[in-house]
Amino acid sequence: MFARKPSGNRLKQAPPPRAAERAAPRRRLGFTSWRDQHLYSFFSSLGRLLARPWATALTALVMGLALALPLLFLILLDNARSLAGGWQDAREITVFLKPGADAQAGAALAGRLRTRGDVTAVKQITPEQGLEEFRAMSGFADALDVLQFNPLPQVLVVTPQETRGSEDPAVLAVLRAEKEVDLVQYDAAWRRRLGAILGLSQRSVLVLAGLLALATLLVVGNTVRLDIQSRAEEIAVMQLIGASPGFVRRPFLYTGVWYGLFSGVFALMVVYGVQWALQAPVDRLLDSYDNRFILHGLTPAAALAVPVLSAALGWLGAMLASARHLAEALPD
Amino acid sequence: MIRFDQVTKRYASGHEAVHELSFELAAGEMAFVTGHSGAGKSTLLKLIALIERPTRGHVTVNGQNLHGLRRGRIPELRRGIGMVFQDHRLLMDRSVYDNVALPLIIAGLSREEIAKRVRAALDKVGLLERERAAPITLSTGEQQRVGIARAIVAKPAVLIADEPTGNLDPQLSGEIMRLFADFQQVGTTVIVASHDLPLVKRMGKRVLVLDHGRLLDDWRPGST
Repeated sequence: MFARKPSGNRLKQAPPPRAAERAAPRRRLGFTSWRDQHLYSFFSSLGRLLARPWATALTALVMGLALALPLLFLILLDNARSLAGGWQDAREITVFLKPGADAQAGAALAGRLRTRGDVTAVKQITPEQGLEEFRAMSGFADALDVLQFNPLPQVLVVTPQETRGSEDPAVLAVLRAEKEVDLVQYDAAWRRRLGAILGLSQRSVLVLAGLLALATLLVVGNTVRLDIQSRAEEIAVMQLIGASPGFVRRPFLYTGVWYGLFSGVFALMVVYGVQWALQAPVDRLLDSYDNRFILHGLTPAAALAVPVLSAALGWLGAMLASARHLAEALPD
Repeated sequence: MIRFDQVTKRYASGHEAVHELSFELAAGEMAFVTGHSGAGKSTLLKLIALIERPTRGHVTVNGQNLHGLRRGRIPELRRGIGMVFQDHRLLMDRSVYDNVALPLIIAGLSREEIAKRVRAALDKVGLLERERAAPITLSTGEQQRVGIARAIVAKPAVLIADEPTGNLDPQLSGEIMRLFADFQQVGTTVIVASHDLPLVKRMGKRVLVLDHGRLLDDWRPGST
Protein backbone atom coordinates (compact mmCIF):
# COMPACT_ATOMS: atom_id res chain seq x y z
CA MET A 1 0.00 0.00 0.00
CA PHE A 2 2.98 2.28 0.33
CA ALA A 3 4.31 1.49 -3.13
CA ARG A 4 3.24 4.77 -4.64
CA LYS A 5 6.00 7.34 -4.72
CA PRO A 6 5.02 10.74 -3.46
CA SER A 7 4.80 13.50 -5.96
CA GLY A 8 4.62 17.19 -5.34
CA ASN A 9 1.81 18.16 -7.67
CA ARG A 10 -1.17 16.41 -6.17
CA LEU A 11 -1.94 19.39 -4.06
CA LYS A 12 -5.63 19.86 -4.42
CA GLN A 13 -6.72 16.32 -4.89
CA ALA A 14 -9.01 14.63 -2.46
CA PRO A 15 -7.14 12.87 0.30
CA PRO A 16 -5.85 9.53 -0.90
CA PRO A 17 -7.93 6.55 0.16
CA ARG A 18 -5.14 5.18 2.30
CA ALA A 19 -5.39 8.23 4.52
CA ALA A 20 -8.91 7.33 5.47
CA GLU A 21 -7.91 3.76 5.99
CA ARG A 22 -4.95 4.74 8.11
CA ALA A 23 -6.78 7.14 10.33
CA ALA A 24 -7.92 5.33 13.42
CA PRO A 25 -11.44 4.05 12.78
CA ARG A 26 -13.63 5.72 15.32
CA ARG A 27 -17.00 4.50 14.15
CA ARG A 28 -15.84 1.04 13.35
CA LEU A 29 -15.17 0.15 16.96
CA GLY A 30 -16.85 -3.21 17.24
CA PHE A 31 -17.84 -5.11 20.33
CA THR A 32 -14.49 -6.88 20.53
CA SER A 33 -12.46 -3.69 20.64
CA TRP A 34 -14.96 -2.11 23.01
CA ARG A 35 -14.52 -5.09 25.29
CA ASP A 36 -10.74 -5.02 24.88
CA GLN A 37 -10.63 -1.34 25.79
CA HIS A 38 -12.74 -1.96 28.88
CA LEU A 39 -10.65 -4.95 29.91
CA TYR A 40 -7.57 -2.77 29.46
CA SER A 41 -8.96 -0.04 31.74
CA PHE A 42 -10.35 -2.61 34.15
CA PHE A 43 -7.05 -4.37 34.72
CA SER A 44 -4.76 -1.35 34.40
CA SER A 45 -6.74 0.50 37.08
CA LEU A 46 -6.72 -2.57 39.33
CA GLY A 47 -2.98 -3.04 38.79
CA ARG A 48 -2.38 0.60 39.63
CA LEU A 49 -4.33 0.29 42.88
CA LEU A 50 -2.59 -2.93 43.89
CA ALA A 51 0.79 -1.38 43.10
CA ARG A 52 0.32 0.80 46.20
CA PRO A 53 -1.62 -1.53 48.49
CA TRP A 54 -1.36 0.54 51.70
CA ALA A 55 -2.73 3.74 50.23
CA THR A 56 -5.51 1.78 48.53
CA ALA A 57 -6.33 -0.18 51.68
CA LEU A 58 -6.40 2.97 53.80
CA THR A 59 -8.83 4.73 51.47
CA ALA A 60 -11.02 1.64 51.24
CA LEU A 61 -10.97 1.26 55.05
CA VAL A 62 -12.09 4.84 55.63
CA MET A 63 -14.90 4.40 53.11
CA GLY A 64 -15.75 0.97 54.49
CA LEU A 65 -16.11 2.27 58.05
CA ALA A 66 -18.29 5.12 56.83
CA LEU A 67 -20.53 2.55 55.15
CA ALA A 68 -20.46 0.06 58.03
CA LEU A 69 -21.77 2.57 60.59
CA PRO A 70 -25.21 3.15 59.05
CA LEU A 71 -25.45 -0.57 58.25
CA LEU A 72 -24.92 -1.43 61.90
CA PHE A 73 -27.48 1.17 62.99
CA LEU A 74 -29.97 -0.19 60.46
CA ILE A 75 -29.51 -3.72 61.82
CA LEU A 76 -29.88 -2.44 65.37
CA LEU A 77 -33.04 -0.57 64.42
CA ASP A 78 -34.43 -3.57 62.60
CA ASN A 79 -34.02 -5.69 65.72
CA ALA A 80 -35.44 -3.02 67.99
CA ARG A 81 -38.44 -2.83 65.70
CA SER A 82 -39.12 -6.55 65.79
CA LEU A 83 -38.70 -6.50 69.56
CA ALA A 84 -41.07 -3.56 69.89
CA GLY A 85 -43.45 -5.23 67.48
CA GLY A 86 -43.86 -7.99 70.07
CA TRP A 87 -44.77 -5.42 72.68
CA GLN A 88 -47.05 -3.51 70.46
CA ASP A 89 -49.02 -6.65 69.73
CA ALA A 90 -49.70 -6.90 73.44
CA ARG A 91 -52.71 -4.59 73.35
CA GLU A 92 -54.56 -6.04 76.35
CA ILE A 93 -56.50 -3.79 78.66
CA THR A 94 -56.04 -4.63 82.28
CA VAL A 95 -59.18 -3.92 84.37
CA PHE A 96 -58.92 -3.82 88.17
CA LEU A 97 -62.29 -4.15 89.90
CA LYS A 98 -63.13 -2.38 93.15
CA PRO A 99 -62.01 -4.25 96.30
CA GLY A 100 -65.62 -5.04 97.19
CA ALA A 101 -66.38 -6.83 93.95
CA ASP A 102 -66.28 -10.60 94.24
CA ALA A 103 -65.61 -13.38 91.72
CA GLN A 104 -69.28 -13.46 90.64
CA ALA A 105 -69.30 -9.77 89.82
CA GLY A 106 -66.10 -10.30 87.86
CA ALA A 107 -67.57 -13.21 85.94
CA ALA A 108 -70.74 -11.22 85.20
CA LEU A 109 -68.76 -8.32 83.78
CA ALA A 110 -66.58 -10.75 81.80
CA GLY A 111 -69.75 -12.35 80.40
CA ARG A 112 -71.13 -8.99 79.34
CA LEU A 113 -67.87 -8.02 77.72
CA ARG A 114 -67.66 -11.30 75.78
CA THR A 115 -70.92 -10.49 74.02
CA ARG A 116 -69.39 -7.33 72.53
CA GLY A 117 -68.24 -7.54 68.93
CA ASP A 118 -65.05 -5.56 69.45
CA VAL A 119 -63.69 -7.81 72.20
CA THR A 120 -61.84 -10.96 71.19
CA ALA A 121 -61.07 -12.41 74.61
CA VAL A 122 -61.62 -11.80 78.30
CA LYS A 123 -59.61 -13.53 80.95
CA GLN A 124 -60.56 -13.40 84.58
CA ILE A 125 -57.87 -13.52 87.26
CA THR A 126 -59.18 -14.07 90.74
CA PRO A 127 -57.24 -12.67 93.73
CA GLU A 128 -56.15 -16.23 94.59
CA GLN A 129 -54.76 -16.83 91.10
CA GLY A 130 -53.13 -13.42 91.20
CA LEU A 131 -51.44 -14.18 94.49
CA GLU A 132 -50.10 -17.47 93.18
CA GLU A 133 -48.72 -15.79 90.10
CA PHE A 134 -47.18 -13.06 92.20
CA ARG A 135 -45.66 -15.60 94.57
CA ALA A 136 -44.13 -17.57 91.70
CA MET A 137 -42.72 -14.56 89.82
CA SER A 138 -41.60 -11.97 92.32
CA GLY A 139 -39.62 -14.00 94.82
CA PHE A 140 -41.62 -12.33 97.62
CA ALA A 141 -43.11 -15.66 98.69
CA ASP A 142 -41.94 -15.27 102.30
CA ALA A 143 -43.16 -11.70 102.54
CA LEU A 144 -46.55 -12.69 101.15
CA ASP A 145 -46.93 -15.37 103.81
CA VAL A 146 -46.84 -12.61 106.42
CA LEU A 147 -49.98 -11.00 104.96
CA GLN A 148 -53.17 -11.60 106.92
CA PHE A 149 -55.44 -11.33 103.91
CA ASN A 150 -55.24 -11.25 100.13
CA PRO A 151 -54.98 -7.60 99.08
CA LEU A 152 -55.37 -8.30 95.38
CA PRO A 153 -58.55 -7.28 93.54
CA GLN A 154 -60.45 -9.14 90.85
CA VAL A 155 -58.71 -8.55 87.54
CA LEU A 156 -60.02 -8.89 83.98
CA VAL A 157 -57.63 -8.95 81.04
CA VAL A 158 -59.57 -7.77 78.00
CA THR A 159 -58.18 -8.20 74.49
CA PRO A 160 -59.95 -5.75 72.19
CA GLN A 161 -60.09 -6.12 68.47
CA GLU A 162 -57.25 -4.39 66.67
CA THR A 163 -58.00 -0.74 65.98
CA ARG A 164 -56.79 1.26 63.08
CA GLY A 165 -53.87 3.62 63.68
CA SER A 166 -53.43 4.97 67.16
CA GLU A 167 -57.14 5.14 67.96
CA ASP A 168 -58.20 3.84 71.37
CA PRO A 169 -60.61 0.91 71.28
CA ALA A 170 -64.23 1.87 72.02
CA VAL A 171 -64.51 -0.68 74.81
CA LEU A 172 -62.10 1.41 76.86
CA ALA A 173 -64.68 4.12 77.52
CA VAL A 174 -67.29 1.49 78.42
CA LEU A 175 -64.95 -0.10 80.95
CA ARG A 176 -64.12 3.23 82.54
CA ALA A 177 -67.83 3.91 82.96
CA GLU A 178 -68.53 0.59 84.74
CA LYS A 179 -69.26 1.20 88.40
CA GLU A 180 -67.49 -1.95 89.66
CA VAL A 181 -64.31 -0.90 87.89
CA ASP A 182 -61.63 0.74 89.98
CA LEU A 183 -58.80 1.23 87.44
CA VAL A 184 -58.36 0.65 83.74
CA GLN A 185 -54.76 0.27 82.61
CA TYR A 186 -54.08 0.71 78.93
CA ASP A 187 -50.60 1.75 77.81
CA ALA A 188 -51.60 3.64 74.69
CA ALA A 189 -49.44 6.67 75.39
CA TRP A 190 -46.41 4.54 76.06
CA ARG A 191 -46.96 2.58 72.86
CA ARG A 192 -47.34 5.75 70.84
CA ARG A 193 -44.17 7.11 72.35
CA LEU A 194 -42.29 3.94 71.48
CA GLY A 195 -43.59 4.14 67.91
CA ALA A 196 -42.48 7.76 67.67
CA ILE A 197 -39.03 6.92 69.05
CA LEU A 198 -38.62 4.15 66.49
CA GLY A 199 -39.77 6.46 63.70
CA LEU A 200 -37.33 9.12 64.83
CA SER A 201 -34.51 6.58 65.06
CA GLN A 202 -35.24 5.31 61.60
CA ARG A 203 -35.22 8.83 60.17
CA SER A 204 -31.99 9.63 62.03
CA VAL A 205 -30.30 6.51 60.69
CA LEU A 206 -31.39 7.39 57.16
CA VAL A 207 -30.07 10.94 57.51
CA LEU A 208 -26.83 9.59 58.98
CA ALA A 209 -26.57 7.07 56.15
CA GLY A 210 -27.06 9.89 53.65
CA LEU A 211 -24.33 11.99 55.27
CA LEU A 212 -21.89 9.10 55.45
CA ALA A 213 -22.64 8.16 51.83
CA LEU A 214 -21.83 11.76 50.95
CA ALA A 215 -18.58 11.46 52.91
CA THR A 216 -17.76 8.29 50.98
CA LEU A 217 -18.47 10.09 47.74
CA LEU A 218 -16.11 12.90 48.75
CA VAL A 219 -13.38 10.46 49.77
CA VAL A 220 -13.56 8.70 46.39
CA GLY A 221 -13.79 12.00 44.56
CA ASN A 222 -10.78 13.41 46.35
CA THR A 223 -8.72 10.26 45.84
CA VAL A 224 -9.54 10.24 42.15
CA ARG A 225 -8.75 13.96 41.95
CA LEU A 226 -5.29 13.35 43.40
CA ASP A 227 -4.86 10.45 41.02
CA ILE A 228 -5.76 12.67 38.08
CA GLN A 229 -3.30 15.33 39.25
CA SER A 230 -0.47 12.86 39.65
CA ARG A 231 -1.12 11.49 36.18
CA ALA A 232 -1.43 14.83 34.42
CA GLU A 233 1.45 14.06 32.06
CA GLU A 234 -0.04 10.71 31.08
CA ILE A 235 -3.43 12.32 30.48
CA ALA A 236 -1.83 15.04 28.33
CA VAL A 237 0.03 12.45 26.23
CA MET A 238 -3.13 10.38 25.79
CA GLN A 239 -5.02 13.43 24.60
CA LEU A 240 -2.21 14.35 22.22
CA ILE A 241 -2.22 10.95 20.58
CA GLY A 242 -5.95 11.05 20.05
CA ALA A 243 -7.60 9.43 23.04
CA SER A 244 -11.27 10.36 23.33
CA PRO A 245 -12.41 11.97 26.61
CA GLY A 246 -14.20 8.71 27.40
CA PHE A 247 -11.03 6.70 26.99
CA VAL A 248 -9.06 9.08 29.22
CA ARG A 249 -11.77 9.04 31.86
CA ARG A 250 -12.44 5.31 31.89
CA PRO A 251 -9.52 4.11 34.06
CA PHE A 252 -10.46 6.70 36.69
CA LEU A 253 -14.06 5.51 36.71
CA TYR A 254 -12.86 1.97 37.16
CA THR A 255 -10.62 3.18 39.99
CA GLY A 256 -13.72 4.60 41.67
CA VAL A 257 -15.60 1.34 41.15
CA TRP A 258 -12.73 -0.62 42.68
CA TYR A 259 -12.57 1.65 45.72
CA GLY A 260 -16.33 1.31 46.13
CA LEU A 261 -16.21 -2.46 45.81
CA PHE A 262 -13.33 -2.84 48.26
CA SER A 263 -15.00 -0.56 50.79
CA GLY A 264 -18.32 -2.41 50.42
CA VAL A 265 -16.64 -5.74 51.10
CA PHE A 266 -14.82 -4.20 54.04
CA ALA A 267 -18.06 -2.75 55.42
CA LEU A 268 -19.60 -6.23 55.27
CA MET A 269 -16.58 -7.63 57.11
CA VAL A 270 -17.04 -4.98 59.82
CA VAL A 271 -20.74 -5.77 60.13
CA TYR A 272 -20.17 -9.51 60.37
CA GLY A 273 -17.26 -8.91 62.75
CA VAL A 274 -19.41 -6.81 65.08
CA GLN A 275 -22.19 -9.40 64.89
CA TRP A 276 -19.73 -12.12 65.79
CA ALA A 277 -18.30 -10.11 68.68
CA LEU A 278 -21.76 -9.44 70.11
CA GLN A 279 -23.21 -12.90 69.49
CA ALA A 280 -22.44 -14.43 72.90
CA PRO A 281 -23.81 -11.61 75.12
CA VAL A 282 -26.82 -11.17 72.85
CA ASP A 283 -27.60 -14.87 73.07
CA ARG A 284 -27.48 -14.62 76.86
CA LEU A 285 -29.85 -11.68 76.77
CA LEU A 286 -32.24 -13.47 74.43
CA ASP A 287 -32.17 -16.57 76.62
CA SER A 288 -33.62 -14.47 79.40
CA TYR A 289 -36.54 -13.68 77.10
CA ASP A 290 -37.19 -17.42 76.62
CA ASN A 291 -35.83 -17.07 73.09
CA ARG A 292 -38.98 -15.31 71.97
CA PHE A 293 -36.77 -12.98 69.90
CA ILE A 294 -34.02 -13.83 67.47
CA LEU A 295 -31.28 -11.49 66.35
CA HIS A 296 -31.67 -10.52 62.69
CA GLY A 297 -28.47 -9.96 60.74
CA LEU A 298 -28.20 -8.80 57.13
CA THR A 299 -30.26 -10.83 54.72
CA PRO A 300 -28.24 -12.37 51.86
CA ALA A 301 -29.89 -9.96 49.43
CA ALA A 302 -28.90 -6.95 51.54
CA ALA A 303 -25.36 -8.33 51.92
CA LEU A 304 -25.13 -8.58 48.15
CA ALA A 305 -26.58 -5.11 47.66
CA VAL A 306 -23.92 -3.47 49.87
CA PRO A 307 -20.91 -3.94 47.53
CA VAL A 308 -23.06 -3.26 44.49
CA LEU A 309 -24.29 0.04 45.93
CA SER A 310 -20.86 1.02 47.22
CA ALA A 311 -19.36 0.31 43.78
CA ALA A 312 -22.03 2.55 42.26
CA LEU A 313 -21.16 5.20 44.84
CA GLY A 314 -17.47 4.90 43.90
CA TRP A 315 -18.31 5.24 40.23
CA LEU A 316 -20.38 8.35 40.92
CA GLY A 317 -17.61 9.95 43.00
CA ALA A 318 -15.04 9.25 40.27
CA MET A 319 -17.42 10.56 37.64
CA LEU A 320 -17.90 13.84 39.52
CA ALA A 321 -14.17 14.23 40.12
CA SER A 322 -13.18 13.52 36.53
CA ALA A 323 -15.89 15.77 35.14
CA ARG A 324 -14.49 18.53 37.33
CA HIS A 325 -10.76 17.89 36.97
CA LEU A 326 -10.16 16.29 33.61
CA ALA A 327 -9.93 19.74 32.09
CA GLU A 328 -9.26 18.63 28.60
CA ALA A 329 -6.27 20.00 26.76
CA LEU A 330 -8.45 20.48 23.72
CA PRO A 331 -9.05 23.97 22.33
CA ASP A 332 -12.70 24.99 22.10
CA MET B 1 -2.09 17.23 2.57
CA ILE B 2 -1.25 20.20 4.81
CA ARG B 3 -2.23 23.67 3.77
CA PHE B 4 -1.88 26.99 5.63
CA ASP B 5 -3.93 29.87 4.33
CA GLN B 6 -3.03 33.32 5.73
CA VAL B 7 -2.74 31.85 9.19
CA THR B 8 -2.13 34.15 12.13
CA LYS B 9 -1.84 32.97 15.72
CA ARG B 10 -1.85 35.50 18.50
CA TYR B 11 -1.62 34.16 22.04
CA ALA B 12 -3.64 35.59 24.90
CA SER B 13 -0.46 37.33 26.09
CA GLY B 14 -0.52 39.39 22.86
CA HIS B 15 2.51 37.61 21.42
CA GLU B 16 2.03 36.89 17.72
CA ALA B 17 3.70 33.56 17.09
CA VAL B 18 2.68 33.13 13.47
CA HIS B 19 1.82 35.94 11.07
CA GLU B 20 -0.17 35.44 7.86
CA LEU B 21 1.55 32.22 7.08
CA SER B 22 0.69 30.44 3.82
CA PHE B 23 2.22 27.27 2.43
CA GLU B 24 1.18 23.92 1.12
CA LEU B 25 2.64 20.48 1.62
CA ALA B 26 1.68 17.67 -0.75
CA ALA B 27 0.77 14.19 0.40
CA GLY B 28 3.94 12.20 0.93
CA GLU B 29 6.12 15.30 0.96
CA MET B 30 8.71 15.96 3.64
CA ALA B 31 9.61 19.41 4.91
CA PHE B 32 11.73 20.89 7.63
CA VAL B 33 10.62 23.99 9.49
CA THR B 34 13.54 25.95 10.79
CA GLY B 35 14.35 29.30 12.31
CA HIS B 36 15.67 30.71 15.57
CA SER B 37 13.88 29.87 18.78
CA GLY B 38 10.62 31.76 19.02
CA ALA B 39 10.26 31.96 15.25
CA GLY B 40 6.97 30.07 15.44
CA LYS B 41 8.08 26.52 14.57
CA SER B 42 6.30 24.87 17.48
CA THR B 43 3.18 26.94 16.99
CA LEU B 44 3.04 25.88 13.36
CA LEU B 45 3.05 22.22 14.40
CA LYS B 46 0.50 22.85 17.15
CA LEU B 47 -1.86 24.38 14.63
CA ILE B 48 -1.70 21.21 12.52
CA ALA B 49 -2.63 18.94 15.46
CA LEU B 50 -5.19 21.45 16.78
CA ILE B 51 -3.33 21.89 20.03
CA GLU B 52 -3.89 25.55 19.20
CA ARG B 53 -6.51 27.16 16.99
CA PRO B 54 -5.47 29.95 14.61
CA THR B 55 -6.60 33.47 15.43
CA ARG B 56 -7.14 34.13 11.69
CA GLY B 57 -6.83 32.07 8.54
CA HIS B 58 -7.42 28.44 7.75
CA VAL B 59 -5.45 25.26 8.28
CA THR B 60 -6.37 22.25 6.16
CA VAL B 61 -5.09 18.79 7.03
CA ASN B 62 -5.87 15.73 4.96
CA GLY B 63 -8.49 17.65 3.01
CA GLN B 64 -10.24 18.70 6.18
CA ASN B 65 -10.54 22.38 7.09
CA LEU B 66 -9.78 22.48 10.80
CA HIS B 67 -11.67 25.72 11.20
CA GLY B 68 -15.03 24.02 11.43
CA LEU B 69 -13.82 20.99 13.34
CA ARG B 70 -15.79 20.56 16.53
CA ARG B 71 -13.97 19.92 19.77
CA GLY B 72 -15.42 16.43 19.96
CA ARG B 73 -13.81 15.50 16.65
CA ILE B 74 -10.29 16.57 17.64
CA PRO B 75 -9.26 13.14 19.03
CA GLU B 76 -10.19 11.61 15.69
CA LEU B 77 -8.02 14.17 13.85
CA ARG B 78 -5.11 13.48 16.17
CA ARG B 79 -5.34 9.74 15.62
CA GLY B 80 -4.48 10.48 11.99
CA ILE B 81 -1.37 12.45 12.98
CA GLY B 82 1.78 10.95 14.48
CA MET B 83 3.50 13.30 16.90
CA VAL B 84 7.13 13.21 18.06
CA PHE B 85 8.23 15.54 20.85
CA GLN B 86 11.64 16.86 21.78
CA ASP B 87 11.40 15.25 25.23
CA HIS B 88 9.72 12.18 23.67
CA ARG B 89 6.98 12.20 26.40
CA LEU B 90 7.01 8.48 27.05
CA LEU B 91 5.01 7.09 29.96
CA MET B 92 7.75 6.02 32.33
CA ASP B 93 5.64 3.61 34.33
CA ARG B 94 5.04 1.36 31.34
CA SER B 95 7.21 -0.85 29.20
CA VAL B 96 8.45 0.13 25.77
CA TYR B 97 5.87 -2.22 24.27
CA ASP B 98 2.98 -0.65 26.21
CA ASN B 99 4.07 2.85 25.22
CA VAL B 100 4.12 1.99 21.55
CA ALA B 101 0.83 0.05 21.81
CA LEU B 102 -1.08 3.00 23.32
CA PRO B 103 -2.26 4.61 20.04
CA LEU B 104 -3.51 1.23 18.84
CA ILE B 105 -5.35 0.53 22.09
CA ILE B 106 -6.98 3.94 21.73
CA ALA B 107 -7.88 3.10 18.13
CA GLY B 108 -9.47 -0.13 19.36
CA LEU B 109 -7.45 -2.71 17.44
CA SER B 110 -7.46 -6.37 18.38
CA ARG B 111 -4.67 -7.65 20.60
CA GLU B 112 -3.14 -9.77 17.84
CA GLU B 113 -3.12 -6.83 15.45
CA ILE B 114 -1.60 -4.60 18.13
CA ALA B 115 1.18 -7.12 18.85
CA LYS B 116 1.95 -7.41 15.15
CA ARG B 117 2.07 -3.67 14.51
CA VAL B 118 4.00 -2.80 17.68
CA ARG B 119 6.72 -5.32 16.80
CA ALA B 120 6.87 -4.02 13.25
CA ALA B 121 7.23 -0.44 14.52
CA LEU B 122 9.89 -1.39 17.07
CA ASP B 123 11.71 -3.37 14.43
CA LYS B 124 11.66 -0.32 12.19
CA VAL B 125 13.38 1.83 14.83
CA GLY B 126 15.75 -1.01 15.76
CA LEU B 127 14.45 -1.66 19.30
CA LEU B 128 12.66 -4.98 18.90
CA GLU B 129 14.82 -6.59 21.58
CA ARG B 130 13.97 -3.91 24.11
CA GLU B 131 10.17 -4.24 24.03
CA ARG B 132 9.97 -5.40 27.67
CA ALA B 133 12.39 -2.73 28.92
CA ALA B 134 11.33 0.27 30.97
CA PRO B 135 11.88 3.50 29.02
CA ILE B 136 13.97 4.88 31.89
CA THR B 137 16.63 2.21 31.27
CA LEU B 138 17.10 3.31 27.66
CA SER B 139 19.53 5.93 26.36
CA THR B 140 18.16 9.31 25.22
CA GLY B 141 18.49 8.30 21.58
CA GLU B 142 16.67 5.02 22.20
CA GLN B 143 13.90 6.80 24.10
CA GLN B 144 13.43 9.13 21.14
CA ARG B 145 13.23 6.13 18.82
CA VAL B 146 10.50 4.64 21.05
CA GLY B 147 8.70 7.97 20.76
CA ILE B 148 8.97 7.71 16.97
CA ALA B 149 7.71 4.12 17.01
CA ARG B 150 4.68 5.29 19.01
CA ALA B 151 4.08 8.08 16.50
CA ILE B 152 4.13 5.83 13.44
CA VAL B 153 2.60 2.61 14.85
CA ALA B 154 -0.94 3.59 13.84
CA LYS B 155 0.31 4.39 10.31
CA PRO B 156 -0.75 8.02 10.37
CA ALA B 157 -0.98 9.95 7.12
CA VAL B 158 0.91 12.84 8.70
CA LEU B 159 3.96 12.72 10.95
CA ILE B 160 4.99 15.87 12.79
CA ALA B 161 8.08 16.22 14.97
CA ASP B 162 9.05 19.15 17.18
CA GLU B 163 12.83 19.35 17.62
CA PRO B 164 13.18 15.56 17.69
CA THR B 165 16.97 15.80 17.85
CA GLY B 166 17.14 18.66 20.32
CA ASN B 167 18.72 16.50 23.02
CA LEU B 168 20.87 14.27 20.82
CA ASP B 169 24.46 14.38 19.62
CA PRO B 170 25.12 15.00 15.89
CA GLN B 171 25.55 11.35 14.94
CA LEU B 172 22.31 10.26 16.66
CA SER B 173 20.56 13.29 15.20
CA GLY B 174 21.52 12.19 11.70
CA GLU B 175 20.15 8.69 12.34
CA ILE B 176 16.87 10.03 13.64
CA MET B 177 16.44 12.37 10.68
CA ARG B 178 17.13 9.54 8.24
CA LEU B 179 14.43 7.54 10.04
CA PHE B 180 11.97 10.34 9.27
CA ALA B 181 13.10 10.34 5.65
CA ASP B 182 12.36 6.58 5.57
CA PHE B 183 8.77 7.19 6.60
CA GLN B 184 8.45 9.72 3.82
CA GLN B 185 9.65 7.03 1.45
CA VAL B 186 6.61 4.90 2.33
CA GLY B 187 4.19 7.74 1.65
CA THR B 188 3.81 9.54 4.97
CA THR B 189 3.69 13.33 4.93
CA VAL B 190 6.46 14.40 7.29
CA ILE B 191 7.05 17.82 8.82
CA VAL B 192 9.96 18.31 11.22
CA ALA B 193 10.76 21.45 13.18
CA SER B 194 14.46 21.84 13.87
CA HIS B 195 16.88 24.68 14.52
CA ASP B 196 19.85 22.50 13.44
CA LEU B 197 20.34 24.20 10.07
CA PRO B 198 23.46 22.26 8.94
CA LEU B 199 21.71 18.95 9.57
CA VAL B 200 18.56 20.16 7.81
CA LYS B 201 20.60 21.25 4.80
CA ARG B 202 22.32 17.86 4.58
CA MET B 203 18.98 16.06 4.38
CA GLY B 204 18.21 17.68 1.01
CA LYS B 205 14.47 18.13 1.69
CA ARG B 206 12.18 21.09 1.44
CA VAL B 207 12.92 23.73 4.10
CA LEU B 208 10.52 26.38 5.40
CA VAL B 209 12.46 29.12 7.14
CA LEU B 210 10.49 31.12 9.71
CA ASP B 211 11.44 34.42 11.25
CA HIS B 212 9.23 36.13 13.82
CA GLY B 213 6.27 34.10 12.61
CA ARG B 214 6.73 35.02 8.94
CA LEU B 215 7.79 32.71 6.14
CA LEU B 216 11.24 33.98 5.20
CA ASP B 217 12.20 31.31 2.71
CA ASP B 218 10.68 28.19 1.11
CA TRP B 219 13.67 26.25 -0.17
CA ARG B 220 13.07 23.17 -2.31
CA PRO B 221 15.68 20.61 -3.27
CA GLY B 222 16.87 21.22 -6.83
CA SER B 223 16.37 24.97 -6.62
CA THR B 224 19.37 27.15 -6.07
